[in-house]
Amino acid sequence: METATVHADAHHDHVHGHEEHHHEETFLTKYIFSQDHKMISKQFLITGIFWGIVGGLLSVLFRLQLGWPNETFPFLETFLGKWAEGGRISQEFYYALVTMHGTILVFFVLTGGLSGTFANLLIPYQVGARDMASPFINMLSYWFFLSAGVVMLFSFFIQTGPASGGWTAYPPLNGLRDTSVNLGSGLGFDLWILGMSLFIVSSLLGGLNYIATVLNMRTKGMSMFRMPLTMWALLFTAVIGVLSFPALLAGCVLLEFDRLLDTSFYLNNIIINGNLLGYKGGSPILFQHLFWFLGHPEVYIIIIPAMGLVSEVLAVHSRKPIFGYKAMVYSIIAILVLSFIVWAHHMFVTGLNPSLAAVFTLFTLMIAIPSAIKVFNWIGTVWRGKVRLSTPALFAIGFVSMFITGGLTGIILGNSAIDIQLHDTMFVVAHFHIVMGVSAFFGMFAGVYHWFPRLYGRYMNETLGQIHFYGTLIGAYAIFFPMHFMTGLPRRYYTYANFETFNNFNFLAEFISIAAIVVFFVQLVFVVNFFYSIFKGRKVLAERTVDGYGYANPWGSTSIEWSAPIERLHGNWPGDIPEVHRWPYDYAVNGREFIPQTEPLKPGELSHD
Amino acid sequence: MIAFLSFAVVVLLFAVLVLIARASELTAELKDGKLDYTSQSKWNGYFLLTFLILMFVGSAYCFKVLMPVMVPKAASIHGEITDGLFNLTMLIIGVVFVLTQIALFWFAYRYNESKGHDSYFYPHNNKLEVIWTVIPALVLTVLVAMGMNEWMTIFNPDKRAKDMLVIEATGKQFNWILRYSGKDGKFGERIIDKAHVSPTNELGINWEDAKSHDDFMADKLYLVKGRGVLMKLGAQDVLHSFFLPHFRVKMDCVPGLPTEFYFVPTMTTVEMQEYLSKQPWWQGINPETGEVRWKTFKYELACAELCGKSHYGMQREVVVVEQKEYDEWLAKQTPMYQPAVAEAPAVETSATDTTAAAEPVKPTAMLDHKK
Repeated sequence: METATVHADAHHDHVHGHEEHHHEETFLTKYIFSQDHKMISKQFLITGIFWGIVGGLLSVLFRLQLGWPNETFPFLETFLGKWAEGGRISQEFYYALVTMHGTILVFFVLTGGLSGTFANLLIPYQVGARDMASPFINMLSYWFFLSAGVVMLFSFFIQTGPASGGWTAYPPLNGLRDTSVNLGSGLGFDLWILGMSLFIVSSLLGGLNYIATVLNMRTKGMSMFRMPLTMWALLFTAVIGVLSFPALLAGCVLLEFDRLLDTSFYLNNIIINGNLLGYKGGSPILFQHLFWFLGHPEVYIIIIPAMGLVSEVLAVHSRKPIFGYKAMVYSIIAILVLSFIVWAHHMFVTGLNPSLAAVFTLFTLMIAIPSAIKVFNWIGTVWRGKVRLSTPALFAIGFVSMFITGGLTGIILGNSAIDIQLHDTMFVVAHFHIVMGVSAFFGMFAGVYHWFPRLYGRYMNETLGQIHFYGTLIGAYAIFFPMHFMTGLPRRYYTYANFETFNNFNFLAEFISIAAIVVFFVQLVFVVNFFYSIFKGRKVLAERTVDGYGYANPWGSTSIEWSAPIERLHGNWPGDIPEVHRWPYDYAVNGREFIPQTEPLKPGELSHD
Repeated sequence: MIAFLSFAVVVLLFAVLVLIARASELTAELKDGKLDYTSQSKWNGYFLLTFLILMFVGSAYCFKVLMPVMVPKAASIHGEITDGLFNLTMLIIGVVFVLTQIALFWFAYRYNESKGHDSYFYPHNNKLEVIWTVIPALVLTVLVAMGMNEWMTIFNPDKRAKDMLVIEATGKQFNWILRYSGKDGKFGERIIDKAHVSPTNELGINWEDAKSHDDFMADKLYLVKGRGVLMKLGAQDVLHSFFLPHFRVKMDCVPGLPTEFYFVPTMTTVEMQEYLSKQPWWQGINPETGEVRWKTFKYELACAELCGKSHYGMQREVVVVEQKEYDEWLAKQTPMYQPAVAEAPAVETSATDTTAAAEPVKPTAMLDHKK
């Protein structure tokens, strides 16, 4: 605590100095090369929204092919040229679309966009810090993220097209730089590796910063068990990222060696058109191990921040403490540990030693236990609350619903014997889209609607928000619930017309495509709402004014991000950083609706933690 | 013109959204400068409840309409067991799904702020939390034990029949090479080096090995009902995955790394057709072909691991017959040794038409060794 006090005081002086001779910020330092965590958060969010639209649009394009495999759409040729000759998306481009859809949404939206936005916004505000541990590294993290995106975007405009060998980038398909093997495996895939490497650098820089800030820069009184669950979630997300992303980087570098330098890390006895190539002794399975050593923790990197946001939003809007705070923390720790020892459940039928699969089945199904605890605790939080059904609360409830539906089918897929049939089929697609795609989006939306007043000093529009919510909830279920019945239909098929067995579900594919297109347009309601509200949204009105700064607590929340002025100051608080005296979930206690964390305990009152 | 019109529609929609936003801001009921959520909470409570009902009705409808269309029942011994495990798990998670969704949406409705009650300070209950940790743990333990037991049975080499068929399947872009060991029941040796692998001998078969002389390649995968079959799997160029949806068989084919899968077919193609002819959905007409569905039923082999642009075209028919019929078929097959040595015919290496962007690619028949 000693260091925290000194730290707060030091910043106190600094900020007063700041007010007196207010050094001018140029447009460039304020909006572009900003080192302020709030601005970086906005940069991540808006970049994430851009990538969300791109990723969604790609899915609309390939859903056109899947829903109407026999139709042609002349306007596609207008826009896509040689990729859609005659108005039908080419095979090469179809695979490029699914590959880039996965890459963009998994990494650029739900990792970069989600963690980047909320870790940057909330960590300094909720632990009580002036900014991140290293604002400069924080800025670098964004610029690496952006340049990774620029490289990925660029790959769409080269002659051989973007990467098209699946977002999992398995060799040998992606290990040979021979475009006769796979068209997108030329320059497009080199750019994919470059983009991913830049992304990993961004993620590591950001993650180290988040960890350092949460561990070292908490304000006086903010013990670990007085942190809101968002902090726990974002801390552990960063820990997972820092431990697992390097494995993917190593895997990608070795893959590029195979491609450019003719090494044989992943290649062995490759025969193309009857010609034996010179690769000897490598193993394609090795890459899968390296990939999924990140790839599986990656889904927790996506879902844990969403869990944290939802825990906080549900408690605040239910006007009730989160049920089982410590159980929530311990269950995240359990998920963190287990997430590192389940990766091979993606590889049950890849030629892995069968006795290994048993171990991975056990650990995989064990993850269901902490997940179940979290679900029951969320439901327990809503129970006997006084739930304010605002847009953020609705999205939080939608998150829990989606997480239940998607999580349960994981119990089926994690069981290796059942997975033999389901592996790489549409059942898997349905499962992971619900549990980590749609759920994480719901968590992210809950967060954006809830903390928009903190970001911009205005509210997002409720009516549009609720249209967005119901459209997405109904639409997402309409897409992915029936998809479970396509059990046995392989995924990543351009058309099912060659198979008697798979050709029966065309009516369903068409229905899913229509739903997907509708849901895409419903997301534009969010985009309109977001940008409209930045400029024209209802302003947050000051509840009290001190020293010329207006203060408000829009949702009646206990956590300390709302103890800062509505105006987003560089350094967050004009005076001292507030001291924290109690845990973050004192709702409906002592006859009061809520007690902020900054309020000292009454004589005789016991601290909850 | 259509582009212009759709652009105009989009602009109009955006304008409508902005108008809705403005109108709702103007009519917003504020209390102490904040939006009063009481009436919204009331309506959203009803909406959530409606959604809950809608979701259950929709799910039930999915089961009714889509279940009959699914890949039919398993036609292998282990497949019946894993399907049973699937159904059991489905039942358990179905119950959990219904109960938790009801609790979630009902509580959100029942305890929304328009009900005029106070929130209840209830931060934890250790007993309750232990209960809802232990019960899932026990259920999962049972499922894990059942799954592992079946898994270890499927992959246990000691459980294989002595008289099993051994068939070799090799994946390549974009076709399957199916090799049978012929009359002697033994495969000829394969040597993967530059001296043996060539465009006319993709598999690198050592023709000097006499065991190779009666080996033949088949265009359909013939299996015998009730007789175990061990698939020896491999790949030439990239990853493929040997997938027999009706037999619940899937195993990746990896270049340079042999894999295998053992299973026992339980129904001939004809028996499966007879079974399906009694199912109402299968008695219907397939709108694509105009034929009665069960009559065109066939077992199929597919590729389940993304292997390039014609991944979706790696189809082969699978035929399950009685032993007698299998023997007749076997007698008609020509070994590939004679033509291979005598004239070394040009082998069609890539069966797929690379220009067929507009047409679904139909892999042409097998390597024409026999002709």
